[in-house]
Amino acid sequence: MSTVLEQIEQQIAKLSSHAVKKNTGNIRTIADGVAKIDGLSDVMYNEMVSFPGGAIGIALNLEEDEVGCVILGDVSQLKEGDEVTTTGRLLSVPVGKALLGRAVDALGNPVDGKGPIDSKETYPVEKIAPGIIVRKSVTQPLFTGIMAIDSMIPIGRGQRELIIGDRGTGKTTIAIDTIINQAKANQVGLASGDPKFRPVYSIYVAIGQKNSNIVRTISALEAAGALQYTIIVAAPAADNPANQYLAPYSGAAMGEWFMENGLDALIVYDDLSKHAVAYRQISLILKRPSGREAYPGDVFYLHSRLLERSARLDGKGSLTALPIIETLAGDVSAYIPTNVISITDGQIFLETDHFNQCIRPAVSVGLSVSRVGSSAQIKVTKQVGGKLKGELAQFRELAAFAQFGSDLDAKTKGQLERGARIVELFKQPAFSPVPIELQVAILFAMQKNFFDAIDTKKVVAAAAAMKEFFTTRKDTLLTEIRTKAALDKDLEAKLQAACDEWKSGYTA
Amino acid sequence: MAAHAKQAQQLARQLFRLSLADGAVSPAKVTGVLEYVEKHRPANPIMVLKAYERLIATELGRSQALVEHAGAVSEDVLHSIAAVLGKRYGRTLTATTRANPALIAGLRVRVGDDVYESSVAGQLASLAASV
Ligand SMILES: Nc1ncnc2c1ncn2[C@@H]1O[C@H](COP(=O)(O)OP(=O)(O)OP(=O)(O)O)[C@@H](O)[C@H]1O
Ligand SMILES: [Mg+2]
Repeated sequence: MSTVLEQIEQQIAKLSSHAVKKNTGNIRTIADGVAKIDGLSDVMYNEMVSFPGGAIGIALNLEEDEVGCVILGDVSQLKEGDEVTTTGRLLSVPVGKALLGRAVDALGNPVDGKGPIDSKETYPVEKIAPGIIVRKSVTQPLFTGIMAIDSMIPIGRGQRELIIGDRGTGKTTIAIDTIINQAKANQVGLASGDPKFRPVYSIYVAIGQKNSNIVRTISALEAAGALQYTIIVAAPAADNPANQYLAPYSGAAMGEWFMENGLDALIVYDDLSKHAVAYRQISLILKRPSGREAYPGDVFYLHSRLLERSARLDGKGSLTALPIIETLAGDVSAYIPTNVISITDGQIFLETDHFNQCIRPAVSVGLSVSRVGSSAQIKVTKQVGGKLKGELAQFRELAAFAQFGSDLDAKTKGQLERGARIVELFKQPAFSPVPIELQVAILFAMQKNFFDAIDTKKVVAAAAAMKEFFTTRKDTLLTEIRTKAALDKDLEAKLQAACDEWKSGYTA
Repeated sequence: MAAHAKQAQQLARQLFRLSLADGAVSPAKVTGVLEYVEKHRPANPIMVLKAYERLIATELGRSQALVEHAGAVSEDVLHSIAAVLGKRYGRTLTATTRANPALIAGLRVRVGDDVYESSVAGQLASLAASV
């Protein structure tokens, strides 16, 4: 008896080795890019499920008798009763250097019409962030190319620094400037042949933005020659909320590839306010309970698990994150801003008043902090810019008082004038980051009072002329500053001499 | 609306539990449940019965091996399929057959929401999906 059974078993085993097991379900309802599915009893949380016609879904709600899936891609063909199958795979995206210079959607498919992407590897979109043991503290600088930030709110590799401000205050511009600055540094560093030089690759994730804005960003990067070091992940406003929800995680996966392979990368999430809105929309359709501002209870986890993936890994590379948050009327105490502020290592606060007074970039030095970056700041910036933050704070305080009275003593007047000049000096047009060695030269000149004789209104022009002078005439000196990264007697004398030379030749 | 649906779902689940005997759907108990519903008329009876039907159908599907075939299938093969799969799921399965020429050749076995596919059509489909 049992031998007969065994015989049959063997036969079946042979048969079923050809048989493919699938777990299936049927669409019960479908609306707004979210499907409720009967069956799928074997599905895992976050597993990819496949819909007829090639659409892909992610199982987000596993309930007793139904599964809630967000659908990525075209939903117009799907209808009630359609069969859905599990894939046994978690969602993953292509990673690697082949993506540089390309624009992709949330699933890593090219959207720039430049043909298929030849990437050999994929990484899961959702990954547990590195633990405590493998992390290393932040000690290497990442220069934004924005003088106000690099000198007073320095950022280190592996750090998460929030860019926060109202609509249209230049948030995106700061992020793009930073990406451009990395590209410029890469070009110089890679050409120098210095074996210790570590290039920074960038990933720009556009969430819920107008297509026209994304195009503008891409062309700004292209014009600056930065696109070849950058991956663009685009989930525009017209994309369904599932793609917008997913895009930052896809970008993080692409960034992790660089980090895991011993390289340094920078990721910009523009912006996480719209990301939270997309997630709220999905959650409401999935009928999850909602809390403050109608956001679901796990909206904190939504961003914490994303930003925790940025780190500097022991013996490997780093992933620096610049998340962007939009505030309403400067209110940083709203739900999403407070959450993200508490997860990041500091914030760059952009002030609408500054922006409107043409103090651009509109960085508010008083309200901005970098909690870990100062350990990454190079010595020379500390030497020339160490006192700036205090001086500026004092200036703002005095300026507020000075509005009331005209009788000011000479000392106060002097401080006010100096402060006003520093403010002018930090003005910078969009898409023109300043290399760190040039920043040092300018700040040195400021420190040594070279701008005191110049009319406040003409400081911007003078600084521009000085930049021009140094880049065209003092190239070797700039290289020396960059490589030494600290001021010694000799370098200081050379800088002083160069500034004197500039002064004698400059007429305002 | 949502609250109604939830209540109906809850009631359906209670009725479903009452319909089981020794872990399997008992026809006698189902008749009893239907009589009860008829007599007591809960709110939204249609919604309740639809949800109830779905639960019963899912449960019945779990103890059934639906064998779809393109060619002929012998009794022996049917029995062995039921036996092997029954062992895998740890319950007795009854095999039923349904001719499905769309498979081209081979078999497709469905137990609950699991599908075992060894048909030409299935292989073609997975080939199509992978290229
Ligand atoms: N440093 C700057 N100098 C001059 N103009 C600037 C500067 N930074 C930004 N701008 C201009 O201000 C406008 C808004 O900038 P940007 O798009 O970066 O702001 P945003 O905060 O990202 O806006 P949104 O809230 O729409 O995303 C743009 O037209 C940009 O060119
Ligand atoms: Mg923007």
